[in-house]
Amino acid sequence: MADIPVQTLHRDPQLFYWILIPITIVMVQTGVLRHYASVLLQTAPKKQDAPAMREQRSLGRGVALRSNYHSLSKKSFESRRDYLISAYENGDFLKEPEKKGQPPANPMSDPGAMDGMMGMMKNNMAMMIPNTLIMSWINAFFSGYVTMKLPFPLTIKFKSMLQAGVQTKDMDPRWMSSISWYFLCIFGLQFVYVFLLGNDNAASQLNQQMQAQQMPNPMMGGPGQDPDKQFKAEAENLAVVDHYSVLDDVEGRLLASLKKA
Amino acid sequence: MISLSQDRGLLSHPDALHVAQQAPLVLKDAPKTISASPWASLFSAPDTADLWITYENLLLSCLRSGDDKSAIECLDRITARFGSQNERVMALTGLGKEATAKGDEQLQHILTEYQEILGENAANIPIAKRRVALLRSMGKDSEAITALGTLLDSSPTDAEGWSELADLHLSQGHYPQAIFALEEVLVLVPNAWNMHARLGEVFMMAAASSSDAQLKYRAEALKRFARSVELCDHYLRGYYGLKLVADQLQEDKIRSKPKNDPDSFTIPDQETLARLSEVAMERLADIVRRYKAGEPLWQGYDSSAIAAAADLLDKTKQTLVR
Repeated sequence: MADIPVQTLHRDPQLFYWILIPITIVMVQTGVLRHYASVLLQTAPKKQDAPAMREQRSLGRGVALRSNYHSLSKKSFESRRDYLISAYENGDFLKEPEKKGQPPANPMSDPGAMDGMMGMMKNNMAMMIPNTLIMSWINAFFSGYVTMKLPFPLTIKFKSMLQAGVQTKDMDPRWMSSISWYFLCIFGLQFVYVFLLGNDNAASQLNQQMQAQQMPNPMMGGPGQDPDKQFKAEAENLAVVDHYSVLDDVEGRLLASLKKA
Repeated sequence: MISLSQDRGLLSHPDALHVAQQAPLVLKDAPKTISASPWASLFSAPDTADLWITYENLLLSCLRSGDDKSAIECLDRITARFGSQNERVMALTGLGKEATAKGDEQLQHILTEYQEILGENAANIPIAKRRVALLRSMGKDSEAITALGTLLDSSPTDAEGWSELADLHLSQGHYPQAIFALEEVLVLVPNAWNMHARLGEVFMMAAASSSDAQLKYRAEALKRFARSVELCDHYLRGYYGLKLVADQLQEDKIRSKPKNDPDSFTIPDQETLARLSEVAMERLADIVRRYKAGEPLWQGYDSSAIAAAADLLDKTKQTLVR
């Protein structure tokens, strides 16, 4: 196979000073600005009021009893179970006992849920607006230049991404244009932000995407779920528990383990 | 050197004093305020959780040892950082006021303040707990029990609250209630060996004060102590209790034939009881010997607990000789 001659391009060294460095500085500054903007826009998490807390934690009590029943004697377990099941079925722990049996409210009309959505909207906006602005800025001022050569080879597929705005068919994809430097900055500046703003900054988009992926499972008792149904389900779960106690024959286990040691 | 960056709610008195004596030094070294600006954070001390836990521990130790000046300094710095409306800061502020209050009248005043705060927001758990603690320290135990009951009704997954309730009931001699509360703690933290042993102790006390259900209580006490030492190999209280209850049950069994009750635990046979007692003795002797020999890893025991264990060992030896 014949060696492909190495492409050399003579670039003006000024390109480096007037394109790469300005883009980098602007990117860092927008990241820092975005962090502070989202800190300012953030609303404090809403405090739970006492009835909501009671509802959620009473459910938690049932869950705890169901998973740790083995540390109780049969009698104490059964009295607790009877109490919790009847209370769950009567809806004693409900935040709004009069609403029992009604379908859950539309999350759109619930002001509590609206707050959460507004928060997400704000975050998305804080991410989208600067990105659009900077991209159009770069396109307006710096398009059409080849700014640098990557130190590693790439396949032809990268050409459309790296050489956006440079319509040259045969050029090696290692040459990249200013817009691709912008993309590299988006993903590569995370560590700079961590250094400047600390670990849980809002500047980097990768973090936010990761958070968005972890979000989907709704919290216990979160909006949109009928607590009464959750209580009923928990009551059923408790009812089917087959009790054994870890205290049965504990002395036998103890003596056996001490004998071995 | 005691590390201040861990939660140190339960320092012994000499340790607390030691910590409090260092307070002025620590306060001088630690930053007074923390800047939120990114440039300042490059050059000054970082705003870590450790720092604030250190302040909180210092505050507690200083209040205990009467160094109110340093305590107020700590409190001011915490308040400057987190704001006076933070629930935890509110509780710490209340604690500071309680400690520096003179006379019952001021305490009563603080109590009404707590009630006002709770009236605004009933979900303020730290303040609700302070209120219970204050009621208790003012000697109003039954009111404290009621207040704690309300708190636990709205927050029943609070192990700390349940164990405090158990303690309150125990101080009033309400054994069944104390047992219930301790069982509730165990539902939340099933592997807490100290709680198993504590429940065993309460069962022993209940057995001593009741006449009809003695065997039942003691049988469960035995199980609890055994579970406790099963979970934690060298738990002195567990072995101590195991030894006591095993001996006690051996005597009981000679005196009366236990009825078979399906609801309660079966009492092991005489041979097992004797072996449990023997094993507990061995372990206690081992712990006491190693503690007294000054082995470095065995110094964590409370000296009074060691003395009690040594006492028990001596007594048993005497009866054996006789």
